[in-house]
Amino acid sequence: MSRCRWSAPALLLISAMAAASPAQDYVMNCRGCHGEGAEGVPGKVPPLAHTLVQFMRSPAGRSYVLRVPGASNSMLSDAQLAAVLNWIAGNFGREQLPESAPPFSLPEVAATRRMPMVSVQATRREVLKELAASGSAPREGY
Amino acid sequence: MHRLDRIFEKSSRSLAQRTSRRSFVAVLGQVLTGSLLLPLLPIDRVNRAAAASLGPDATPAPPPHQSPAGAAHKIVSDDPQSCDYWKYCAIDGFLCSCCGGSSHSCPPGTSMSAIAWIGTCHNPGDGRDYVVTYNDCCGKTSCGNCGCNRNERERPLYRLLRNNDINWCVANADSNYHCTVSVILGLAEKDQ
Amino acid sequence: MRTSQFRAALLALLVNGSAFAAPPLAAEKFTVEPLPSPGLHWVYVVDEAFYNEIDARVRLFDGDSYRHLGQIDAGFSPGVIESPDGRTTAVTTTYYARGGHGARTDVVEFTDNSTLAAAGEIVLPPKRAQIPPTLFNLGYSADARFLYVSYITPAGSFGVLDPQDKTVLDEIDTAGCVLVIPSGPNRVSSFCDSGRLLTVTLDSQGHEAARALSDVLFDPDSDPIFVQGVPTANGYAFVSFLGQVHEVDFSGAQPSIQAPWSLVSTAERGHWRPGGTQVAAIHRQLGRLYVPMHRGGEGSHKEGGSEIWVFDLKSHRRLARWPMTPSHIGPVTAVQVSQDAAPVLFAGSDDGAVGVLDALTGQLRHLDKNLGQTPWLFLTP
Repeated sequence: MSRCRWSAPALLLISAMAAASPAQDYVMNCRGCHGEGAEGVPGKVPPLAHTLVQFMRSPAGRSYVLRVPGASNSMLSDAQLAAVLNWIAGNFGREQLPESAPPFSLPEVAATRRMPMVSVQATRREVLKELAASGSAPREGY
Repeated sequence: MHRLDRIFEKSSRSLAQRTSRRSFVAVLGQVLTGSLLLPLLPIDRVNRAAAASLGPDATPAPPPHQSPAGAAHKIVSDDPQSCDYWKYCAIDGFLCSCCGGSSHSCPPGTSMSAIAWIGTCHNPGDGRDYVVTYNDCCGKTSCGNCGCNRNERERPLYRLLRNNDINWCVANADSNYHCTVSVILGLAEKDQ
Repeated sequence: MRTSQFRAALLALLVNGSAFAAPPLAAEKFTVEPLPSPGLHWVYVVDEAFYNEIDARVRLFDGDSYRHLGQIDAGFSPGVIESPDGRTTAVTTTYYARGGHGARTDVVEFTDNSTLAAAGEIVLPPKRAQIPPTLFNLGYSADARFLYVSYITPAGSFGVLDPQDKTVLDEIDTAGCVLVIPSGPNRVSSFCDSGRLLTVTLDSQGHEAARALSDVLFDPDSDPIFVQGVPTANGYAFVSFLGQVHEVDFSGAQPSIQAPWSLVSTAERGHWRPGGTQVAAIHRQLGRLYVPMHRGGEGSHKEGGSEIWVFDLKSHRRLARWPMTPSHIGPVTAVQVSQDAAPVLFAGSDDGAVGVLDALTGQLRHLDKNLGQTPWLFLTP
C-alpha cells in the first residue's frame, strides 16, 4: 500500500490521470443518492462525509469502500474512482484523515474493485466492528 | 417520477450525457442543427390542457406531433411547460411547471425528493452543456398534467443511476409521486 | 278466445293502450355476479393508472366474449403475478394512510382467482421497489413454497415470503443487483449492472445458502437488455435494445446462457427496434415469439411498435410482420399471447387501447378502449 502522504501533488497526479474533475464525477455518479454535502439520507443512504475517511483506516474498510455497489458498479474508470474517493475524503472530512489512511491508488482500485461482495450490510457491520476495536468508527445506523 | 405517458411526447433530442466509461465528457448524442428556439406551438398547449382534463375512463386524444419514432425531431422549445424544453432531455413524468411549481421548484405543499438522477443537457440557446438533476416532488397524488417521456441515454433498472422508471421519491417519508423537475447544477465540464 | 281472456286483453288494452301489453317485469334479485369458469383467452391487464397512480388496478378480460369480467385493486405502482397453479393473483403494492400521503404500508395482497375476492395479505417492510410492472417485481418459486418481492431503497435486496403462512421469512441483500427471477427450486436470480445474473440459492427456511454470479449475459454499455423477460420452455428469453434475443436455460444447477440471435438483419439493426413496457411474448408450444417493433434510434426504447414481428424460436426465422395501422391500433407497447392451440395475441397500445388479434394470422378481432389508462402488463395463465 502506498505510504505517500495526502499531498497536493499526489491528489493532482491521480486527478490528472482521470479525464475530468473528481468534483464533477461526484456530481454525476454519487451526488444523486449521497447528496450535495455527502450527507446521505437517514435510514436509506449512508453518509460519506466524515465517514469515508474512517473506512480508509483499515484494509478491510478500504476494500469495503471499493467494492460497495455504488462504487464498484459505477461507470467511472479505476482512475476516476480513485480520484473521486480521494476527493470525497479530502473535501468532506479532511481534518479527520489519520496518517494511516493514504489516498486510494490506481493499482489498489484495479485489484480490489471487481471482487464481488456477498452482503453489503453484513460486510459493513463486520468492518465497523473491526474499526471500532482499533479506534474511531462510523456509526452503524444512518 | 418517470413513466410512460399515453400522450406520448416523442422527441429525439441532442442529449449531452456521458456515454463512455473512460471519459467524462458532455457528449452530444445528436447535434442540433441550428440553435433556433421555436415558441411552443399552440396545439401543444391545447392537447396538454385536454389531456389534463381527461378522466381515467376517457379516450385520450392522439399524441401531438407524433413524429416517426427516432426521426431527427429537431423542435426545441424555450417553454418550460413543453416536453421539448432543452432541460427536459431525459425527463419522464409530469412537469412540475404545469402543476404549480416551476421547471426547478416543487409545487406548494409537496416535498423535494432526497435522491435523484443526474444527467447533462445541451442548451442550444447559449450553446453550452449543463448538468441537470431530475428530482421528483413527493407527498401528493399524480399531478396528471404535461406528461413527458424522453429517454436519451436512459437505461434499465440494473443501471439505477441512469434509470427514470423508478419512483425517485422512494427515499422520502412521503413517497407518493406528484411531478418531476429538472434543476441546473452548473456547467458540464468538457473533456480535457 | 275465452271470454275471460278477452276481458283481460281488453282490460290490458285499456290500461296500456297497446294491443300487445306484456306482463310486468319480474322483480330482480340483487346478488354478486359469480365468475364463470376460466376461459382459454382470459387475460389479467395491469393498469398502472399513471394519471391517478395510487389507484392502479388489474382488470380481468375475456378475449373471446370481450367482456370485462372484474377487477383487482392494486394500490400504488404495483407488481403483479399469478401463482403457479393459476388460482391466486399476488399483488405487491403500497398504501398511504391518507390515500396520497401518510404512513407508508407495503403489502402483498392475495386474490382468489375463482371469485376475485381478497384472500389475505402479508405486510412487508416499506422497501418494495416502486417501479413499473414487470414479470420480476415479485415471483413465486415453482412449487409456490416461497414468494419473492423485489426491494429497492435505493439499495437492492429482496424479501423471501411464505405465501401459505403469510409471513416474511428473510431479506436477501443483492449488492446492487435488481429484481427477482425465479430460476429453479429455491433459486432467485437478479440483473446486475455488470451484465451478469446474480443467483441466490435458499435453504428450506428461506435463508441464503449460497450465491453465484453468472457469466456475462449481455453488454450493458453497447446493447442493454430490457428487464422484461418472457418464459420459455426451460427458462426465460430477454430482448435487447438493438434486437438481440438472449435465452437463458434455468433448468440446471446454474443458468445456462444460450448464444444470442438477432431479430433484425444487418441493414435493419439500429433502425428497427423493440420497445415498450412488455416487449415480447412467446407461445411455448408453437415456439413463436412476438415482438412489437418500431423505427427509431437511441432513446426510443419505450416507444411502441408500428408492427408486430413474429419469429420461429427454433429456426430464428422471421415468419411475419404485422403492421398495426391498418387495424387502427396505436403504437404497441405490450404484447401477450394465450398458450392454447388457437391462441390470441393481446396488444396494448400507448393510447390505452388493447387489440385482440388472432395469434396465427395477425387479424384484428376486437379493439377495446376501456381496459385502462395505461395497460402496461398482460398476464395469461
